[in-house]
Amino acid sequence: MKLLSLNERLGLISYRNQAKSDIKPHIRVDTEICNTVCPHKCTTYVCPANCYTMDEEGKVHFQVEDCIECGTCMYACDQGAVTWEFPDPEIGRGVTWNFG
Amino acid sequence: MDEKFDCIIVGAGVAGLAAAMTLARNNIKFLLIEKGEFAGAKNVSGGVIWGHDLAKLVPEYWKEEDGGWDRFINHRRLTFIDDQSSFSIDFKSDHFNEAPYSGVIVLRSKFDRWLAGKVEEAIAESDYAMDSFVATNILVEEVLMEDGKAVGIRTGDEKFYADSVIIAEGVNNLLTRQVGLQDKYVPADHMLTGVKEIIRYDQKVLEDRFQLNGLSGMSNEYVGFATRGVEGGGFLYTNRDTISIGLVLGLKDLREKNLKPYDILNDFKTHPVVRDTIRGGVVVEYSAHVVSSGDKRVMPDKLYKDGLLVCGEAANLLMNAGKAIQGMDYAMRSGILAAENIIEAKEKQDFGNSQMKKYQDNLSDSYVMQDIDNFQDAVHLLHNPVMYQKMPNLINHFGRNFFTISNEPTQKARDMLRASVKEHASYWDLIKIGIKGARSL
Repeated sequence: MKLLSLNERLGLISYRNQAKSDIKPHIRVDTEICNTVCPHKCTTYVCPANCYTMDEEGKVHFQVEDCIECGTCMYACDQGAVTWEFPDPEIGRGVTWNFG
Repeated sequence: MDEKFDCIIVGAGVAGLAAAMTLARNNIKFLLIEKGEFAGAKNVSGGVIWGHDLAKLVPEYWKEEDGGWDRFINHRRLTFIDDQSSFSIDFKSDHFNEAPYSGVIVLRSKFDRWLAGKVEEAIAESDYAMDSFVATNILVEEVLMEDGKAVGIRTGDEKFYADSVIIAEGVNNLLTRQVGLQDKYVPADHMLTGVKEIIRYDQKVLEDRFQLNGLSGMSNEYVGFATRGVEGGGFLYTNRDTISIGLVLGLKDLREKNLKPYDILNDFKTHPVVRDTIRGGVVVEYSAHVVSSGDKRVMPDKLYKDGLLVCGEAANLLMNAGKAIQGMDYAMRSGILAAENIIEAKEKQDFGNSQMKKYQDNLSDSYVMQDIDNFQDAVHLLHNPVMYQKMPNLINHFGRNFFTISNEPTQKARDMLRASVKEHASYWDLIKIGIKGARSL
């Protein structure tokens, strides 16, 4: 069967407040820590939704829009860079599973 | 809602709903709060509910035309794979066809919502038909503590008060950490990440391919080449007209091996054995969630405080000891036990520490903690590279030789096995695994 790219996979997911442009991020990442002291920058590959990316200069960037609240980064980051909360139902972005 | 509740339950997953159902049936005034749009909206599982507790919660659930569950399991398969072969232990029996079933496959968005409907029905029949609630779309940000006692919860600027709080918030247990029962930072060491796809088929195709009959279903676990050498394994469950297929990957190992979970999932799907099994379907959902391993080292020591109980995966109650991944049945039992404690506490009008401690005592006496205590060695064994890498290679090497008929003089099986051991492991590995395995299972 055809294999899906991550973008195709994420395209199947329903998010709350998808149409809102002004959402409150539920995860805060101190990328200063990622880009100075972190030896592995692991969030850029362990995150199942690829919310963490690395640019050409090796700097870590974070976007919350695709987050599916799985919790992986909260455990994987052992540098204290990730502050993890659940999204606010009204003004946050968050996932609603169709199957689960 | 200015009036005080007997109990506030945080989280309408399996644990929270089991607690709520038990409270409703016993005329307790409670508030069940869920952050998702509906119960199950944010929940992900493999997943199978093992055992008979569901029948206690919803008697004769199997008689319902379109209940919340997908299929009952009468066919189980454990598959060891190397790069191109598979060697399975396969067990199917009509013995499992009789209700109450010993395992039902569920999809949480559907199952939890259905179970929440049952809770609503139980509330409507209780003395507190107008005073107990299931409230969705509300995020609990804080458990309110006064003099070391839980007295309610806060959401935004609003506060709700109760004699007791049951935390059933799931594995990402922020409130459990907030009240000090779990460390603020839980390291990746004994945690895993699950990634899963739901693949849809024509129902007839699905039933023919997996030899399903009526609502019977199959569970298949995979050990070995499924994970590109990352600690963990794969799973496949048949739903009504979809399958759930995925991997559970050790988070620390994933970090060390520099691999992406969704890439490993694609590798798994292209494995010759898996590829032929899943051919032709359409992917309709991709999901992921952190999951506990069952290693006691990560579990909170204490599951109660004055006026407060923790149950389900918030207490890391989940275990894979090789026989099955058990989590939702633990959630169910712990939710029931937590609610029974609240019922007793209300009778005695005592929600203090010593009364709350009885919940943990009862949990320790139940199969949940007995199994978790007794199978710790099995949990460690499963996360041993000899077990999840060398063993599947060895078994398949042997299988290939054993099942090859070559018009040459045939070796005795014993000699073939010796050759496989030499190729893929050492006798010392096997002796160690043998001793550990015999002790742990």
